Amino acid sequence: MKALTIAWKDTITRLRDWRAIVGFIVAPLAISAVIGLAFGGTFRAETAIQDIKLVIVNLDSGELGQVYSTVLTSDDLVDLFLITEMDDYEAALELVETGETRGVVYIPEDFSDELFANVSATDGSYNPVSVEVTTDPASSISPFIITSVVDQISVSINTLLLSGQVGVEQVLAYAAQLGPELAELANIVPGVIEQAATDPGANQLGLDVVQVGEAQQDISPFSYFAPSMAIFFLMFSMTDGARSILQEETRGTLPRLITTPTPFAEIILGKIGGTFLTGIIQFIVLVLASSLLFGLNWGPSPLALALLVLATVSASTGLGALISSITPTEAQAGIVGSSVTMVFAALGGNFALASALPDYLQIPSRLTINRWSLDGFVKLANDGRGLEGVLPEIGVLFVMAVVFFVLSVVLFQRRFVR
Amino acid sequence: MTEAILQAQGLHKKFDEVYAVKGVSFDIKAGEIFSLLGPNGAGKTTTISMLSCLLTPTEGDAKVDGFSVTGEANQVKQAIGVVPQEIALYPTISAKENLQFWGRMYGLRGKHLQERVDATLDIAGLADRADGKVETFSGGMKRRINIAVGLLHNPKILFMDEPTVGIDPQSRRRILDTVQELNKLGLAVLNTTHYMEEAQELSDRIGIIDNGELIATGTLDELIKMVGEYDTVRLCLDVDGQKIEDVIEPLKSLPEVKQVSPGEDCVMIQVPDSENILGDMVGRVTQAGAHIRSLEIQEPNLEAVFLHLTGRALRD
Ligand SMILES: Nc1ncnc2c1ncn2[C@@H]1O[C@H](COP(=O)(O)OP(=O)(O)OP(=O)(O)O)[C@@H](O)[C@H]1O
Ligand SMILES: [Mg+2]
Repeated sequence: MKALTIAWKDTITRLRDWRAIVGFIVAPLAISAVIGLAFGGTFRAETAIQDIKLVIVNLDSGELGQVYSTVLTSDDLVDLFLITEMDDYEAALELVETGETRGVVYIPEDFSDELFANVSATDGSYNPVSVEVTTDPASSISPFIITSVVDQISVSINTLLLSGQVGVEQVLAYAAQLGPELAELANIVPGVIEQAATDPGANQLGLDVVQVGEAQQDISPFSYFAPSMAIFFLMFSMTDGARSILQEETRGTLPRLITTPTPFAEIILGKIGGTFLTGIIQFIVLVLASSLLFGLNWGPSPLALALLVLATVSASTGLGALISSITPTEAQAGIVGSSVTMVFAALGGNFALASALPDYLQIPSRLTINRWSLDGFVKLANDGRGLEGVLPEIGVLFVMAVVFFVLSVVLFQRRFVR
Repeated sequence: MTEAILQAQGLHKKFDEVYAVKGVSFDIKAGEIFSLLGPNGAGKTTTISMLSCLLTPTEGDAKVDGFSVTGEANQVKQAIGVVPQEIALYPTISAKENLQFWGRMYGLRGKHLQERVDATLDIAGLADRADGKVETFSGGMKRRINIAVGLLHNPKILFMDEPTVGIDPQSRRRILDTVQELNKLGLAVLNTTHYMEEAQELSDRIGIIDNGELIATGTLDELIKMVGEYDTVRLCLDVDGQKIEDVIEPLKSLPEVKQVSPGEDCVMIQVPDSENILGDMVGRVTQAGAHIRSLEIQEPNLEAVFLHLTGRALRD
């Protein structure tokens, strides 16, 4: 009860401080917006997307490979894509490299043969068949469109073959109808595209679209950097919040609290609780603001989002408390807190993709709250996963929270009760 | 005789091998104002911290309102109001919000809390500034709110650690008056100070503390009797440090002089009847080549008591 009073006092005090509001809410929003814009972010999705330069390298000796060029060059998609057909895959890739084209769709020589072999295979053992899509790592929206369209064509081929309509004629006729449907794609905000429609899991024939090159290319910058900055600034406010325990010590209010009939554990609980409450409010405001201002979709499951936010804030609060419990002075806690925040942010992928870090940093990266949390948010916001998809992240973060919290309460108790 | 509200028995506190308080024992009766008088570092705050259950005594115990500070901290904490030496308030929230917060920490709720907040704001004389942030207050106003917090839950005894340090005379006056008024209503007070005037004016009884030890306890009259019939002559010189040593021996060699205690550029001389030997003293000092800047004869007071007991001046 008294813990709540303390927590509420801290929260109110902090929320009244306009500098804190700027630091904890305005700054992360502004920075993620700037980064999003710099990358040609998703908020331009509403303006018409057209004339995406695309090279098709169709080396298929059979007929099925043709479906891709038939669909991609159909009247319905003529505004969307500027198609060039080439035979030299290497040369085509070169064009992506130099930025002369947005992407390459490569259909290998044995494409049809392999697929037909799979259809007639009776033991259900399929050889994986792939269409390779290479996209320009520097752009954000066109790779998404290209992959989605190619995916859609592949799914259709799959479905037709599976339903027994194995004649090439039929496939081509069907493919011709795909055009209008796919043309719609360009008008839809990419994040809203039904995941199920392009789910590679449906490719029961083993036909898969393999994206080559930049594996993370399909992450939209804003859905990466909004949670990223939210986590980064959350860590700042959490170490800062826990530091207020030491501030109360220097200010004399902590000793005074101890002279009131309030158990020490309740005082610490209140202090940590206040930081936690601030963090929750901060994160909720960031989620709401980024969805309202920038139309960012935080994923299909509000429950998963809520739990992930809760887990992230709990773990960061615990870490902040632990740092404060082991640093001798408020000033030192500030320095250690900011350093840990910066290192964790760098390792955890808050400034650049964590998966792009060298191998020897992958393990340290996995030890940070930031990495687990960010992975979770990307799964929700970018990949459209639900609660099940982020359970491991939520679990790890809660375990971190408990460990940090218990350690810090023990250390604080030892330190202040003499 | 009235019941003791506080009994300290052989309190010791050791910090890293050094004793800050070594064997302090005293009683405070219900409704009494007791002052601990002592110089910087004497152990006043350490003593009051042990009595407020903030520090655990290394040795000894104390009972407040019949409860032990080592074993029954929670009951003790209900009985005491604590006013720390430093302002212990939240600067960015208002005076009223501070009082409400601290009131809740003492378990006050609802209407009763509001009443106590209003009452203590009145006592502090800051009802009209209730909504002002504490950080916008003057030092004296902060001190008054600092005291008001200690009064919220109607404690039986109020601990005040140097409540008047560093504030303007009016605020100081106000605080001392308030304490006396509350005392008339039955509140016992433990006050610490290094201002002898304050101890002298405010207290029913005084304990003199030095180097962690309580060297004398009693009423003002009882304490002054300890110095006997001695007057204190305060003689300040117009010289550098070197020569102050030069005048000590000549002064000591006067037969009536009981004690000579050197300070920075003044000496304190204790003599039975100052008027008769003033001439001799001036003669000796002048002979030693020193120039007298000022000379003051003090009636026996706490300063003299402290000097008598420790050989040192209470203030430098
Ligand atoms: N936490 C501590 N650790 C180590 N030494 C301490 C601690 N607190 C106090 N001391 C030492 O104990 C002695 C008594 O200190 P205390 O604060 O009780 O004195 P005080 O009478 O209140 O002085 P002041 O008038 O300066 O407030 C001092 O020498 C001080 O340095
Ligand atoms: Mg003190």
